[in-house]
Amino acid sequence: MVILWWYWLIFGMLLMLGELFIPSFTLFWFGLAALLLGAILYFLPDLSLPSQLICWTVGSIVFTALWFKYFKPTMIDRTKAGISREAVTGQTGIVVKPPQDDLRGIVRFALPLLGNDEWEFIATETCQVGDRVEVTDVSGNTLVVRRKP
Amino acid sequence: MEIGALYTAFVFTLIVIVTLFKGVRIVPQGSKWVIQRLGKYHSTLSPGLNFIIPYFDKVAYKVTTKDIVLDIPSQDVITMDNVVIIANAVAFINIVHPEKAVYGVENYIIAIQNLVQTSLRSIIGEMQLDDALSSRDTIKAKLKTSISDDISDWGITLKTVEIQDINPSPTMQKAMEEQAAAERQRRATVTRADGEKQAAILEAEGRLEASKRDAQAKIVLADASQQAIEKVTQAIKDQELPVMYLLGEKYIESIRAMATSANGKTIVLPADIPAAVRGIMGGVTK
Repeated sequence: MVILWWYWLIFGMLLMLGELFIPSFTLFWFGLAALLLGAILYFLPDLSLPSQLICWTVGSIVFTALWFKYFKPTMIDRTKAGISREAVTGQTGIVVKPPQDDLRGIVRFALPLLGNDEWEFIATETCQVGDRVEVTDVSGNTLVVRRKP
Repeated sequence: MEIGALYTAFVFTLIVIVTLFKGVRIVPQGSKWVIQRLGKYHSTLSPGLNFIIPYFDKVAYKVTTKDIVLDIPSQDVITMDNVVIIANAVAFINIVHPEKAVYGVENYIIAIQNLVQTSLRSIIGEMQLDDALSSRDTIKAKLKTSISDDISDWGITLKTVEIQDINPSPTMQKAMEEQAAAERQRRATVTRADGEKQAAILEAEGRLEASKRDAQAKIVLADASQQAIEKVTQAIKDQELPVMYLLGEKYIESIRAMATSANGKTIVLPADIPAAVRGIMGGVTK
């Protein structure tokens, strides 16, 4: 059986189309590798089938790896909606009531966080009224904060 | 040899495809996936494209990080004054730490529903019926404070809890309605009795006033008669004739009136009118 270069092109395109139905974003890289192999085969028509398969496989792995290495870091979150922890951490508020002994303090935010603009908080350092604090974690209905310099 | 190489290449390709499939995970926005590596918690995947180690890592739980609406079923609650009321609520929770939520408690939805129910019972149990019916905001605030600490262990934030209905039980409702009806009936009776009393008093006052005026009228009439008699006496002095004349005139007028009346059949006129008048006068003219 002779595999012509455009066989790979069609196979690659089918794989890319398959991406529409399978939500994994893996097939795309196999398709891309198949397209590349089609191009290679156009110039080197004598490549054996096992070599073609291995080329295709390696190409797919390389593309997937490249994707994770270079493109994933550029995928920023466009919204924090629905991921409450990420939405809350890093927000800064002003201490309204400092924590005393075992009692928790109260911090107020300019914009409501998770539907509330005043939250109880515990802090690792001592805080005064008016200090700016940054949320580092959430524990139930209490925020864990650290003082912002 | 060629066939062997082909099969090897084919199998290799297949393994790579399956491996890559198992390694790439796309988590949709609004959920987080908890990853276990060989049975132990390893990491939590955030929304977007993620890569896990195939065959070792496993998506153990898929947890929604959207707000969860929890319906707290209706329950009977006994207030401090031993009245049964029926209360239900709705709570909004949000999972902040998915790993704590899935490993910390068997079923966080049932757990929180039960927590809200028991807290609601204990809060309303410390209140009088009237307070419980009128202070929803207080109940809400207390409920939120009492629950939020309990659920912190499970990485869950309680956003709000609202009391939906708070109603007395059917028997209590009936009793309250009867009480209200009786109260209104009592007021109606009192109002009616008040009205009757007022009416009686006014009537009696009217009678009293009328009697007073009647008496006054009698006195005035008597005074008038006295004056009239005095005046007549003064006018007459000891002259008999004018009196006789006046009396005779009245006598004849009376007889005429008798004659014209419907009952009059026979009129007898005395022959000697002066003697008749004198007879009427009796001793006056003696």
